[in-house]
Amino acid sequence: MALAFDEFGRPFIILREQDQKTRLRGIDAQKANIAAGKAVARILRSSLGPKGMDKMLQGPDGDVTISNDGATILEQMDVDNQIAKLMVELSRSQDYEIGDGTTGVVVMAGALLEQAERQLDRGIHPIRIAEGYETASRVAVEHLERIAQKFEFDVNNYEPLVQTCMTTLSSKIVNRCKRSLAEIAVKAVLAVADLERRDVNLDLIKVEGKVGGKLEDTELIYGILVDKDMSHPQMPKQIEDAHIAILTCPFEPPKPKTKHKVDIDTVEKFETLRKQEQQYFDEMVQKCKDVGATLVICQWGFDDEANHLLMHRNLPAVRWVGGVELELIAIATGGRIVPRFQELTPEKLGKAGMVREKSFGTTKERMLYIEHCANSKAVTIFIRGGNKMMIEETKRSIHDALCVARNLIRNNSIVYGGGAAEITCSLAVDAAADKYPGVEQYAIRAFAEALDSVPMALAENSGLQPIETLSAVKSQQIKENIPFYGIDCNDVGTNDMREQNVFETLIGKQQQILLATQVVKMILKIDDVISNSEY
Amino acid sequence: MASMMQPQIILLKEGTDTSQGKAQLLSNINAVTAVGDVLRTTLGPRGMDKLIHDDKGSVTISNDGATIMKLLDIVHPAAKILVDIAKSQDSEVGDGTTTVVLLAAEFLKEAKPFVEDGVHSQNLIRSYRTASTLAIEKVKELAVSIEGKSVEEKKGMLAKCAATTLSSKLIGGEKEFFATMVVDAVMAIGDDDRLNLIGIKKVPGGNMRDSFLVDGVAFKKTFSYAGFEQQPKKFLNPKILLLNIELELKSEKENAEIRLSDPSQYQSIVDAEWNIIYDKLDKCVESGAKVVLSRLAIGDLATQVLRSSYFADRDIFCAGRVAEEDLNRVAAAAGGTVQTSVNNIIPEVLGTCEIFEEKQVGGERFNIFSGCPSGRTATIVLRGGADQFIEEAERSLHDAIMIVRRAVKNSTVVPGGGAIDVIPRQLCDNAGFDATDVLNKLRQKHAMQSGEGASYGVDINTGGIADSYANFVWEPAVVKINAINAATEAACLILSVDETVKNPKSESAQGDAAAGAMGRGRGGGGGRGRGMRRR
Repeated sequence: MALAFDEFGRPFIILREQDQKTRLRGIDAQKANIAAGKAVARILRSSLGPKGMDKMLQGPDGDVTISNDGATILEQMDVDNQIAKLMVELSRSQDYEIGDGTTGVVVMAGALLEQAERQLDRGIHPIRIAEGYETASRVAVEHLERIAQKFEFDVNNYEPLVQTCMTTLSSKIVNRCKRSLAEIAVKAVLAVADLERRDVNLDLIKVEGKVGGKLEDTELIYGILVDKDMSHPQMPKQIEDAHIAILTCPFEPPKPKTKHKVDIDTVEKFETLRKQEQQYFDEMVQKCKDVGATLVICQWGFDDEANHLLMHRNLPAVRWVGGVELELIAIATGGRIVPRFQELTPEKLGKAGMVREKSFGTTKERMLYIEHCANSKAVTIFIRGGNKMMIEETKRSIHDALCVARNLIRNNSIVYGGGAAEITCSLAVDAAADKYPGVEQYAIRAFAEALDSVPMALAENSGLQPIETLSAVKSQQIKENIPFYGIDCNDVGTNDMREQNVFETLIGKQQQILLATQVVKMILKIDDVISNSEY
Repeated sequence: MASMMQPQIILLKEGTDTSQGKAQLLSNINAVTAVGDVLRTTLGPRGMDKLIHDDKGSVTISNDGATIMKLLDIVHPAAKILVDIAKSQDSEVGDGTTTVVLLAAEFLKEAKPFVEDGVHSQNLIRSYRTASTLAIEKVKELAVSIEGKSVEEKKGMLAKCAATTLSSKLIGGEKEFFATMVVDAVMAIGDDDRLNLIGIKKVPGGNMRDSFLVDGVAFKKTFSYAGFEQQPKKFLNPKILLLNIELELKSEKENAEIRLSDPSQYQSIVDAEWNIIYDKLDKCVESGAKVVLSRLAIGDLATQVLRSSYFADRDIFCAGRVAEEDLNRVAAAAGGTVQTSVNNIIPEVLGTCEIFEEKQVGGERFNIFSGCPSGRTATIVLRGGADQFIEEAERSLHDAIMIVRRAVKNSTVVPGGGAIDVIPRQLCDNAGFDATDVLNKLRQKHAMQSGEGASYGVDINTGGIADSYANFVWEPAVVKINAINAATEAACLILSVDETVKNPKSESAQGDAAAGAMGRGRGGGGGRGRGMRRR
């Protein structure tokens, strides 16, 4: 990269290893960046909407992911280009914050970039385009706020929540049983939600999957599912009204932290030591029995001697339960995690109405159900499905649905989906454009056009004529002045999204528009790319 | 021609590169101008960003002069001076780094024709010095003091300054929002010089409007253990205990060894160890603290769980591995003292705050202390679409914070939007206006007898000129003064150099350099066969 030449045409060496660096500047840099951003958006475009297609991604070690979730696809693609990475992060941040609409946000950003390119060709300064976009995004967000509808729900009437979750799920592979899955998601969220603080801790919902059965067998368990079985095959498989001791200490003689050494020089001493160990086991079991525990759940293992003893004393036990699960069990059963046997007291035991071991199909795999817990603040969604990929994708879909339900609890405003929100925003932005003097006007109009690309992609993916459909819906919206008309992706016969019950969360939509604008602004602002040539 | 036979006197080590005289001076000026050109486009509200890859492949997108200069990795000796003045401006005032580099480059560019015409550089230096003194006097004269205004008014003016700084950054679209935030943050810490009392936390996701200011301390939830979820998450007026010890057995005791000859003593040793821990925990509880923060990692798993559940049992919130910086800020805010022992905890060392809460921010959970009595800290939680976006936002906020602090201290402001020729010209260029035209208009205004035109600057919105003062484009006077001073010094320094002697690189580096030179020779073409390259 030659930065400058002196009078004799010799280059200055200003930067370290100057010749190994490449530099792209001015309009070329912008064009190259826009092209990269567009390329990413193009990949995701066909995944948008209920008729969107899935992508199959093969990881470096041969594992295959099939997904329709924008964030997942981009994450797995492992892009190298910096601008493309920005798009990936865009999708990820939508995922973190909202959990849904990750494809839409990238498609929108791609459309904005495409429009920006056109404006650049017209000779408009990139910053002015970015500023126009920003103004337009504000108009759009305000407009959404105006048309958004609040809907009431409570613990008993959660139908609207289910409807919204169904919209999310309809674009996924699992849309076959979207109704039941949506219900499961909503019930799960309601179970753990703190409706007063409008806070939902999704950590309390455990999503567990097991290959086998069919999707319809997916169920919501008001309690915890642990992928473990009883430590001894002869222990009872079902315990009613269980009192659970939740232990984080191993069933073995304790060791001091300090370095220690036991000097044994006589046979007698050895005998005492052995006896003491035995006695210790005995004491441990006795302690559990004394406080009234009928089930022991232990974070660590215990050796066969202890196992046998437990079996013998008729105290069922589960070993090697993970820390997170242990915590969930503690929360669900209202018990306390006990770090030492000496700390065991009857109050610290968790209570569950039913603990049972269940085996699946012909396999030997068994799982432990802990149900009817004292406090049902922790729930498990148990997914069944034909193969691993299916289960993974279902997990992601459920996650999206959970996020949507959570967002609705936080803010119960909705807008209409199926591209209806984008179309009405596009109209609003277009109308607002005329009010702005200066070059920004063009950028604002371009923004309106970019908004159209989302319903356009929806129509395209659904096998409709994109331009015809869009213009028909647009004119319908203007004529009747109702913002509910969208793209009829499922060919139901009506464009009225209210009737079709296609809802999206207001915050999700707003976030999409703001985030996409933000990233596009960032990309447009770059006019100089300096890199080592190997990149 | 007889001199041809004269033996050459070898004065310097072989390979030493030396060049001198007027040509050298011009060459230096050219190099500096080249560097100035890189930064040129980043100036002003319509300035562009640079995307720079560094050696490790990480990427920075920035608009901040000092950041770009640092990342460019400049090796040219004269050009390096520019990096230094950018750095000094950054550390001295924190903003105006682009301005200072541009000014210096422009001073030198103006000097070039004079040097070519044979004016002695010392003469130039002297006149530059005089000019800078004049300029600074003028700035001082123009400066408007904000001293003696009411707090509200002062805040408004400071916000204007912050907004001026922010307008050139990526977050310019939300400058009012952030400007108020920055002013509030700076006001919160008052006269305290420790800048680290303003914490900036970055959480990817959300959009920048979701950023918020906490009038206290906020930090990411630290690593938690089983049992943590059962600790209470919200307190009103809690007592806060800050610890810098392990709630564990002292690690020094690792080297000790216990020899047991009697196996029956085993249990007593174990009990003794546990008692030490219990003792510590009891003391924490006795102190009456409801929130316990500790800086150190907390031992192995068993004791962690013990701690967590122990505190959970007693309705106390505890967090381990809190970063030292955060701990100190909590100490400053809540008025507590960090303890290194749990013995003798007196009420005075406990801090307090109005509300302590754990809250979901995007995908993270944050511990937030707000409403602290001494209120000398503030935390800005930044949200944004992409990591790079947040990084840049952080740098921008840093600039704004520095500016506001400077303004508070020196309490004089000057109108921005162009003070010396090069600045308005570049502002116009970057905004896509006819620079000459605007400049003439500005000159005319400034030349007016009444002096009322003195505060006119470039109006980047319409392409004309406007009263910067009335439009609230303000900068603290000290920024301008420092910029002029530093730029003049740098320019004079470079002008006074008439010879560069460059030592050959050390052995290992030489190979690289040779290879590099060959590459350059091929690529540049102009440098071929010219023997020694001039640096």
